[in-house]
Amino acid sequence: MRAFALSLALLAGCADPPGETPPGTLTVLQEQQAAWVRNFNPLLSTGGARWPTASGIYEPLLLYNRATGETVPWLATAWTWTEPARRLRFDVRAGVTWSDGAAFEADDVAYTFDLLKRFPALDGAGAWTYLESVRALDAHTVEFVFTHPYSPGLSLVGGQAIVPKHAWQGIADPVSFTNPNPVGTGPFTEIRRFDAQLWELGRNPRYWQEGLPKVDALRFPAVGSNDQALLALVRGEVDWAGSFVPAIERTYVARDPAHFHYWFPAVGDTVFLYPQTTRAPLDDARVRQALSLAIDRKRLVRVAMHDYVPPSHPTALSDGYRAWRRDDLAPDGGWVRHDPAAAGALLDAAGWPLGEDGRRANAAGEALVMPILCPAGWSDWVRAAQIIARDLDALGVDARVEGLDFASWFDRVSRGDFALALGWSVSGPTPHAFYRSLLGSSTVKPVGTPAATNWHRYGSPAADDLLAAFEATVDPAEQHRLSDALQAAFVAEAPAIPLFPTAAWGEFNTQRFDGFPDRETPYATLSPNAVPDVLLVLTRLRPRNDGLAERGAAR
Amino acid sequence: MSPHLGRRLGLYALAAWFALTLNFLLPRLMPGDPAQALFARFQGRLEPAALEALTVTLGLSDAPIAAQYGTYLGQLARGELGISLVYFPSPVSEVIAGGLGWTLFLAGGALVVAFVLGSAIGAVAAWRRGGWLDTIAPPLLSFLGAFPYFWLAMAAAWLLGFQLGWFPVRHAYGPEVNPSFTLAFAASAVRHALLPGATMVLASLGGWVLTMRNAMMGVLDDEPIRFAQARGLPPGRVFFHYGIRNALLPSLTSFGMALGFVLSGALLTEIVFAYPGQGYLLLQAVRGQDYPLLQGLFLTITLAVLAANAIVDVVVVLLDPRARG
Repeated sequence: MRAFALSLALLAGCADPPGETPPGTLTVLQEQQAAWVRNFNPLLSTGGARWPTASGIYEPLLLYNRATGETVPWLATAWTWTEPARRLRFDVRAGVTWSDGAAFEADDVAYTFDLLKRFPALDGAGAWTYLESVRALDAHTVEFVFTHPYSPGLSLVGGQAIVPKHAWQGIADPVSFTNPNPVGTGPFTEIRRFDAQLWELGRNPRYWQEGLPKVDALRFPAVGSNDQALLALVRGEVDWAGSFVPAIERTYVARDPAHFHYWFPAVGDTVFLYPQTTRAPLDDARVRQALSLAIDRKRLVRVAMHDYVPPSHPTALSDGYRAWRRDDLAPDGGWVRHDPAAAGALLDAAGWPLGEDGRRANAAGEALVMPILCPAGWSDWVRAAQIIARDLDALGVDARVEGLDFASWFDRVSRGDFALALGWSVSGPTPHAFYRSLLGSSTVKPVGTPAATNWHRYGSPAADDLLAAFEATVDPAEQHRLSDALQAAFVAEAPAIPLFPTAAWGEFNTQRFDGFPDRETPYATLSPNAVPDVLLVLTRLRPRNDGLAERGAAR
Repeated sequence: MSPHLGRRLGLYALAAWFALTLNFLLPRLMPGDPAQALFARFQGRLEPAALEALTVTLGLSDAPIAAQYGTYLGQLARGELGISLVYFPSPVSEVIAGGLGWTLFLAGGALVVAFVLGSAIGAVAAWRRGGWLDTIAPPLLSFLGAFPYFWLAMAAAWLLGFQLGWFPVRHAYGPEVNPSFTLAFAASAVRHALLPGATMVLASLGGWVLTMRNAMMGVLDDEPIRFAQARGLPPGRVFFHYGIRNALLPSLTSFGMALGFVLSGALLTEIVFAYPGQGYLLLQAVRGQDYPLLQGLFLTITLAVLAANAIVDVVVVLLDPRARG
């Protein structure tokens, strides 16, 4: 027994020190996976490819930067609409080479879109719903023609990762292709190591941005749970992560305030309480507004979201749309403020007065019963739903939380089989896609048919005209005017009840690297989950020269 | 082969068929379909058009259920388990193969250690009834085993791994070694398996000790033992040849059951210690409604349980003449 204990101590204590990361190798925690599966196919819409395949190994023509609201030229240097909102011409960057040395040309772009056309399974963004043709005019010009004027097509085609024709044309089935040895234009292309629990992506020696990237390699340890991710973070083993961390000041930053930092900008999609608007009485805008006014959003974000995000803006737009958002529409918060008295008055007016028993009922004596659907395992959403249920109960509405298994929840929500349900929303570079899924008649599916978006099933003819006009114009001033009108339509019609925007979770450790974006230098979104902005970060990070010395001193 | 054994094996074949059929039916009774589930996982980051793209990609079949069953059996016969949806487009067999070895190593190793150690403690405790080992070991180990396993594992990871830094807290081997047949890799793998393995042993040891101790008590009271002692046989021979050999039979049956469940039972361990085994795959598969992966995992688990029991049946027949009849 003693010998056993001794050998245990030997193995545990002095067999080998925990592996030091080589200098210049940046450890990233982005995907939560217990074991890695080798897949670098950037065209797959299933999420089966490893991060950062689509924006790191491969690159798009242009980037949309959520933090600044700018569109950044990338593999394209410029673009022009030769026929407004219908014919779009990109100037493809000269001097870019694939990581195998072949030249990158306009033909590669045309080939990529040709693949999407031939294999609809790869067209996750649905580009060919709007495209008529894609043609390389010469080695450095490519032209897209849309079936009808569609200005959001710029970000739709501009955000597509481009693959090399010479390496892909021999692939029989690109849908089941795992692309084990990728050839890309991105800053990191060399797979230096790949096994189930660790893989490493080395820098592209031929990268088109001279002298970049400064980081030699990215290292990805497989970490399958939030607890393990937090453990790796506080031990300083991770340089960059995109994890949700509860009470982060205490659990993470306090461990090493000089080096451990985070930035959670509220630029993600907005979480909504969706009313099924084809069901009485939720077809009445006054009832929807009343429910919204009853919710104490300040308490909601404190309890459910650790105060990481603010309550929703009256227009429901998150901070990602700051350049578009109007603050003058409802300076007092409109129906997104907390005002139980106003909520009660609206319900009285809508024909649901408060009875003797403190419950609300209509003239026919029917009670106001509103179950709230929510995925059972999502603790933050469940807490939010419980707070909403309490607030609605205080209003005299019979609201209770109905927690469902994720699949059942999604099934019922997408078929419109609910009264109230928590759900996410669609986001994009302009408010167009967001409001189309909230107000656009084109996204309304009949109740019973699964819908990818617009679960509340609300179509507004007034908004339809605005959306169509938005699609038809490429003039930014005109787009802003239309976006203003769309926001006004949302505030006036109250199609759904916004709760809070989600944050882009991001943590970083400056012991070994710097150049990360944060509140003071918001050149891009910090979160590695924010693709494709990560390309901006990946090309800006650099090792600290004093990194090793400092680490040694800390020991 | 004795008729007894033949009959048993026939039963096993029937059980296997039943399990295969259940395996086929259960995932199909769940609400929603995998394309929807996959789409939903992106929480609005995918364009609505992607839902259609996914349905096409995954090649979801709306063929009649009987035809699907036929295809399923045919594929199984050829050893094809289909394409995983969560890890699309990797074949299920490849995905499972990645985790299977590690789970066998960790959970199988822990089981063998717990069985051997537990049975030894139980046997000695019964042999020296009322001695210090008999007084301390069974209650203490039962106490430890009664802790929620998740808590025990987290506490061990936090104290021994994080605070004291004696053990690595995650993974099956360190980043400084590559998987290979070298001493350095083997040492790293053992070092990484110690803490998770120890928590598994600690949690299950009590059961083995009690089973063995009780069986041994019964056997030691039997006439043959007293007769052997009366004949003046050395105590060592009585202990091993007459005592343990007979007392081991019930433990051996439980061992067979436990061996089968090794493949599924390490789920919590693997999550707490980020161990790249197949318990975590099971969780992923359920979350992603990954029918092919679910079926592949259940199939390996079912077959492992059946195979382990078949082997135990054979061993029991060898050890116990009464079972040969």
